[in-house]
Amino acid sequence: MLEDLRTVLSSPEYMGYFWQGFGHTILISLIAVAIGLVLGFIVAIVKIAATQNKWMKIPAFLCNIYTTVVRGTPVAVQLFLMVFVIMAIPGVKPAAIILTFGINSGAYVSENIRAGILSVDKGQMEAGRSLGIPWTQTMVRIVFPQAIKNVIPAIGNEMIALLKETSIINLVGATVGQLTFDINAAASQIIPKVGYLAPTIVAACLYLIIVYAMVLIIKLVEGRLRKSDRR
Amino acid sequence: MIAVKNLYKNFGKTPVLKAVSTTVEKGEKVVIIGPSGSGKSTLLRCMNLLEDPTYGEVWVDGKLITPVDPYLHPDLIALSSTCRRLCAEGMTEEDAVARIKREDLLRKFEGAAFRKAVRSRYKENYLDINLVRRKIGMVFQHFNLFNNKTVLDNMTLAPVTLKLKTKAEAEERAYALLRRIGLEDKANVYPSTLSGGQKQRIAIVRALAMEPEYMLFDEPTSALDPEMVGEVLELMKELADTGMTMVIVTHEMGFAREVGTRVLFMADGAIAEEGTPDEIFSAPESPRLREFLSKVL
Ligand SMILES: Nc1ncnc2c1ncn2[C@@H]1O[C@H](COP(=O)(O)OP(=O)(O)OP(=O)(O)O)[C@@H](O)[C@H]1O
Ligand SMILES: [Mg+2]
Repeated sequence: MLEDLRTVLSSPEYMGYFWQGFGHTILISLIAVAIGLVLGFIVAIVKIAATQNKWMKIPAFLCNIYTTVVRGTPVAVQLFLMVFVIMAIPGVKPAAIILTFGINSGAYVSENIRAGILSVDKGQMEAGRSLGIPWTQTMVRIVFPQAIKNVIPAIGNEMIALLKETSIINLVGATVGQLTFDINAAASQIIPKVGYLAPTIVAACLYLIIVYAMVLIIKLVEGRLRKSDRR
Repeated sequence: MIAVKNLYKNFGKTPVLKAVSTTVEKGEKVVIIGPSGSGKSTLLRCMNLLEDPTYGEVWVDGKLITPVDPYLHPDLIALSSTCRRLCAEGMTEEDAVARIKREDLLRKFEGAAFRKAVRSRYKENYLDINLVRRKIGMVFQHFNLFNNKTVLDNMTLAPVTLKLKTKAEAEERAYALLRRIGLEDKANVYPSTLSGGQKQRIAIVRALAMEPEYMLFDEPTSALDPEMVGEVLELMKELADTGMTMVIVTHEMGFAREVGTRVLFMADGAIAEEGTPDEIFSAPESPRLREFLSKVL
């Protein structure tokens, strides 16, 4: 067993695959997280705005369909649908994959942000409105900053889940050199040659490193934001 | 002048305000008292539209802030299809209008002429609520200071965001107000570090930073420890002495008597009795009021 591990770790070819996968996993996750945050933010705002603006009712209805469908179906199914049906055009596979994860993450993030906004005391909005500040500005300057503080941990967890979910990219096929060749794909590439154990352990360690780094970053961001209401 | 006309408010099916009408004139200090759940807060919150009335109108300085309530305008009712139908059946217009009012006969669709008249009446009279709120300060039971802003930012946010003052002007005014209440040294702390009495006094001067013409208070001392009630009432008294128009919901009967120029006693969503503090506290007429006063005095 240690033998296998040593073989893998000392082989430039194998480790080359892993480092490539490592980079790709981070890159894919980063773009997907960015898409998810933007999407989640917009969807949450639309849903909240619909409670007091009738023009937002129809967009909010569409947003509800979006979150229901995305959260109600497995991401693997979404991935197949996107890659082999909706965006089954040669050459756009990496984009289709990243988009799938972004759209998937957006649904969960939006629910987190929405819950965060609703958790802010109603009196904050009322105080802003009573001073004549319009709804949108009160939202942006008062409610939202407080909501974000409350949901950073939940959104952080969501990002970590997203990172780990990207390991199913391999299901739709990935070849060396493609953007979609991630850590798990690298492991699959090596498994036929040295067996399951060693590549799997290396892959697990690489994921663990990224997740741990994310945990540290999330803690840092949380600490920064908490400073403003030091007791 | 804040004029509340025939106001109804239902929460779901529960009626909370029933046909409340009153007018707050400039310079008045109107105190609203009454048992818990009688609709005092709801009435107050309708005055700056934090609560949307179900029926009725609210006017501030001659400007309408709610939708038009056709029942308050006989000339509008006369344009409705229902009224025309009743007239065709042989009623005089006057009788038809009276009957429609009495029996609540207006439907959702009353014809194009009616709809157009209602809309133009609204356009002629309404003023954007955000503009109206600038001159109506509000103080809440639970202070509602912005938790993510320092005391100074709490006070300058509205004037600066609404471009009524430059940042420097707003800060100068904020410091002057803080000096007035002796809390200058708290300018740069966050609300969570303040005592209840300090929070409420800052909430009051935050509203004053907008230089309002009216101030609404919803039980400003109810959430305070007893030893802090005095400092808040003191500030409110000072404010009253400056001639500010105030509407105050409170359980502090001594304060009501001393500061109020008119007292409204609310029970079951209606104004059950109304008068000067002397009339209300020394010579209560209705049994409800007498019973209420015997409990709180
Ligand atoms: N948002 C709401 N939804 C449903 N019911 C409400 C709402 N706000 C108030 N009510 C109900 O309306 C009634 C009147 O409430 P309101 O707060 O105006 O009373 P109040 O006279 O201010 O009482 P208190 O002295 O307890 O503050 C109460 O029965 C209350 O339960
Ligand atoms: Mg109340």
